[in-house]
Amino acid sequence: MSPRRAARPALVLRVPSRTEFLAVVRDVTRRMAELAGFDRGQAEQLALAVDEASTNVIEHAYSGAQDRAFELRFSDRGGELRIDVVDDGLTVDPRTVPKVDLARYASERRTGGLGVHLMGRIMDSVTFSRAARRNVCCMVKRKPAAGEQRP
Amino acid sequence: MTELAVDTRELENVVLLYPRGFLNAHTVRLFETEMQKALDRRRYNIVVSCGGLKYIASAGLGALMGVIEEVRTNGGDIRIAELNETVRNIFEILGFNHLYRIFPSEVDAILSFRGGGEAGPKGA
Repeated sequence: MSPRRAARPALVLRVPSRTEFLAVVRDVTRRMAELAGFDRGQAEQLALAVDEASTNVIEHAYSGAQDRAFELRFSDRGGELRIDVVDDGLTVDPRTVPKVDLARYASERRTGGLGVHLMGRIMDSVTFSRAARRNVCCMVKRKPAAGEQRP
Repeated sequence: MTELAVDTRELENVVLLYPRGFLNAHTVRLFETEMQKALDRRRYNIVVSCGGLKYIASAGLGALMGVIEEVRTNGGDIRIAELNETVRNIFEILGFNHLYRIFPSEVDAILSFRGGGEAGPKGA
């Protein structure tokens, strides 16, 4: 059985809503990505995407409250790695996140929206939904085919 | 473990910032504070020398973005040097390499201010 194609049980991690745990989020994501078959550089980028999604939960869904928690769910689905970030805070409509225009950002001193933009550039898909009174940010990254070079 | 440290020094008319470690939502306040100290002293020629920077998330990139207009309006610029591959990739994903002049070495970045130098990435 090829480890690239075998679906593994999901890892579920419950993370306190404090930014000091972002280092743990990065470390676990990087390790899970490498276990799923991504190279070091890709694993670093996946860790960044999950850091950004987790930061959004802490800062926006929980408005900076430090006494909450959110879940990370890692699912190796054979050909792809799926990572869900689940919270029970405020729902942030992704359509309200501004599109990134760097020139305008600089002139208007805006800094928001960069995280969601990064997530979209790194992952193959990023979707936001609400289920059972929880917000779910679902990020999927396809594994490169054998011998395929990373872009 | 300290995730981020930021050293600062001045060389002639250039302020050098040395972020070392991990720059994200947890650590960005320290970086913003050091950047603001330079602006409070009306030092607008700034080199961020990133040889010790292992990681940057959007919070850190936002900190650069949040002050660039003020810096350039006052005739200065923020120039970036010594990015490792991981951090350079993040800059490029967001297109920051089109907004900031990026130099392979700190010395090149410092010298770029000697001619006055235009703001922005052209000529880098």
